[in-house]
Amino acid sequence: MIKVRYICLTAAAALIVTLSSCSGTPTAENPSAPVASPQATEAVSNNNHSSHGGKEKININTAILSELDKFEAKLGIPALSNKIQASRPYGSSEDLVTKKVITQEQFDQIKDQVSVQEVVLTGEAKDVDYMSKLGLMKGHLLVAQELLDQNQPKQAEPHIGHPVEEIYVDVEDQLNERKVKEFKTTLVSLQDLVKSSPKNSKVKTNFTSSVQAVDSAIAALPADQRSKPGFVLQVINELLDSANSEYGAAIANGKITAPIEYQDSRGFVVYANELYKGISSQVAQADPEAHKAIDTSFAELIKVWPAAIPPAKAVKTTSDVTKLVKTIEENSQKVVDKSNTQAQR
Amino acid sequence: MPNNFALGNGKPWSRRQLLKLGLAGAGVTGAAGLWQMLNLQSKSIVKVPPFEMSAADDATNPMKMVRDFDYGTVKQENGRTIREFQLTAGTSIINLNSAVSYNIWDLNGRIPGPTLRAKQGDRIRVLFLNKAGHSHSLHFHGVHPAEMDGVRPISNGSATIYEFDAEPYGVHLYHCHIAPVTRHIAKGLYGMFIIDPPTPRPPADEMVLVMGGYDVNDDSHNDYYAFNGLPHYYMHNPIRIYKNQLIRLYVLNIIEYDPAVTFHLHANFFDVYRNGMSMTPSEKTDVITMGVAERHILEFAFRYPGKYMFHPHQDAIAENGCMGQFEVLAQSSAQNTVKKS
Repeated sequence: MIKVRYICLTAAAALIVTLSSCSGTPTAENPSAPVASPQATEAVSNNNHSSHGGKEKININTAILSELDKFEAKLGIPALSNKIQASRPYGSSEDLVTKKVITQEQFDQIKDQVSVQEVVLTGEAKDVDYMSKLGLMKGHLLVAQELLDQNQPKQAEPHIGHPVEEIYVDVEDQLNERKVKEFKTTLVSLQDLVKSSPKNSKVKTNFTSSVQAVDSAIAALPADQRSKPGFVLQVINELLDSANSEYGAAIANGKITAPIEYQDSRGFVVYANELYKGISSQVAQADPEAHKAIDTSFAELIKVWPAAIPPAKAVKTTSDVTKLVKTIEENSQKVVDKSNTQAQR
Repeated sequence: MPNNFALGNGKPWSRRQLLKLGLAGAGVTGAAGLWQMLNLQSKSIVKVPPFEMSAADDATNPMKMVRDFDYGTVKQENGRTIREFQLTAGTSIINLNSAVSYNIWDLNGRIPGPTLRAKQGDRIRVLFLNKAGHSHSLHFHGVHPAEMDGVRPISNGSATIYEFDAEPYGVHLYHCHIAPVTRHIAKGLYGMFIIDPPTPRPPADEMVLVMGGYDVNDDSHNDYYAFNGLPHYYMHNPIRIYKNQLIRLYVLNIIEYDPAVTFHLHANFFDVYRNGMSMTPSEKTDVITMGVAERHILEFAFRYPGKYMFHPHQDAIAENGCMGQFEVLAQSSAQNTVKKS
């Protein structure tokens, strides 16, 4: 969601709003027209002056839970973050009031920090976003690897394609910023190879370099951040949220009818579980209860995907999977909140 | 939009009742649809038979979809009309026949997605929320700036806003543009987008027919086809129309994997308004060829009562579900007609 190029785009879009609102004829263009609409002002000031002491804005259409927690904390409304998420999409910031998420009085307290424009993410939110997207890539590649090992190149192919088709464009700018070497070429050539010449010995080496590329992109984040429970749990929950939706798209009448979506969700859950193992002892120390809930839920969750090739019958219903994912999310949130409070002290 | 069907409970509704509801609903939605309703009322008589909405899957209700238009919520901002639509991508299951269930990606819980309708010059604002797992997007056909082209992936759980002017008038469409586009479209992320001309078209019984294909085993070949989401539906539940009533069909071919299909109407000829971008027909025919994503307005009226098929003349495609019928009724009582007031 961090996209420098969209700054210009947002400004351009805002300009169009202004232009077309100034005159009834959209063809009467005037490139030097002053930026006058409230939307335009917001977009411009947000993008240009956020470093000049202007308040950081949060995009209520795209923000992750822990970012929305800032509003929850400020207004003291329990579970507000979830409520904001559940009432998406918002056409304007004021929709928080019209959609009855908060009252006008409450809105007035936070309105300077709310936006529906593309917001340039900063700080931890930016890193969570970055790592979550790379995590989704990891999940795709994990399951692709399994399928290649089982000599199923046809089934593996979409999972090599998805990282490029659905995710890469969204992290491209960040890769540049973080000085990570581009690896789109590597992924695309691997996909070409698996598609047209799956028996080629180069598949193996290309696959290894693709996985390494994603790993080194993740390693662009500082090691201490990557081992911080409050951070990693946010990534885990982003992955599980996608896994949950994909699982829902895989099952019809108790049967797995869409193997691709089943496999996607398997990859995401396997990687999320791997990430959790890396921080579980820290979570156990910080909040034993939350750890227990997360740990048992993961153990249950992982059983849903016994192998890369789907079982004939779904192990759990979609609502059972949703429940487990929600339990992990709720307990993670406690840990994340705790670590945020500690950080502020 | 006014939900004309919420109170239905399976009871047939007359056009007059629909209009009344529409006018009542207009208070809620601003001027949504009002101009069209007034237009229909002031000009002449449109006769629409009562139609029953038999139970179908939640995500598919072809009898409702055929005459269902989403005019959005109308707002005034800076002296301009903004027509705001909300589209949420989700997942659902449909029963293609008694033996085959299939997972689709839906828009607002239906396949095809809502038929969005605006008037040329309106400002269109589409709030798009992705709750369907993969990254998705909405790409609108029409004229707009590059940043509103809808090719950027919107990740699971997040929302975005597309905003542009409705131009030019015609029958357009929208669809997800994330690769592989074939799969993202074939699994349900598409719908029709109609921009009405500044001078409205003559009154008619207006209908939407979207031809789609289903590839249930992911082998890039369609196994089933359908009008408005459900194979063979209109074969078993003919669309009822009146004799001599002008029918205006908005037809879209969004069948992936097959390069082109035709649309053929039995026992009649229709006027063709290519892409809906003119007020005068370009030809009269009974078979028109449509490549993927092509769409046209077809106008006709039936002279004789009875049942008449419509289908692509690639008969294998018709036999696998893209098949329907009109049931032409003789003139009926005035109860079901809208009269000039």
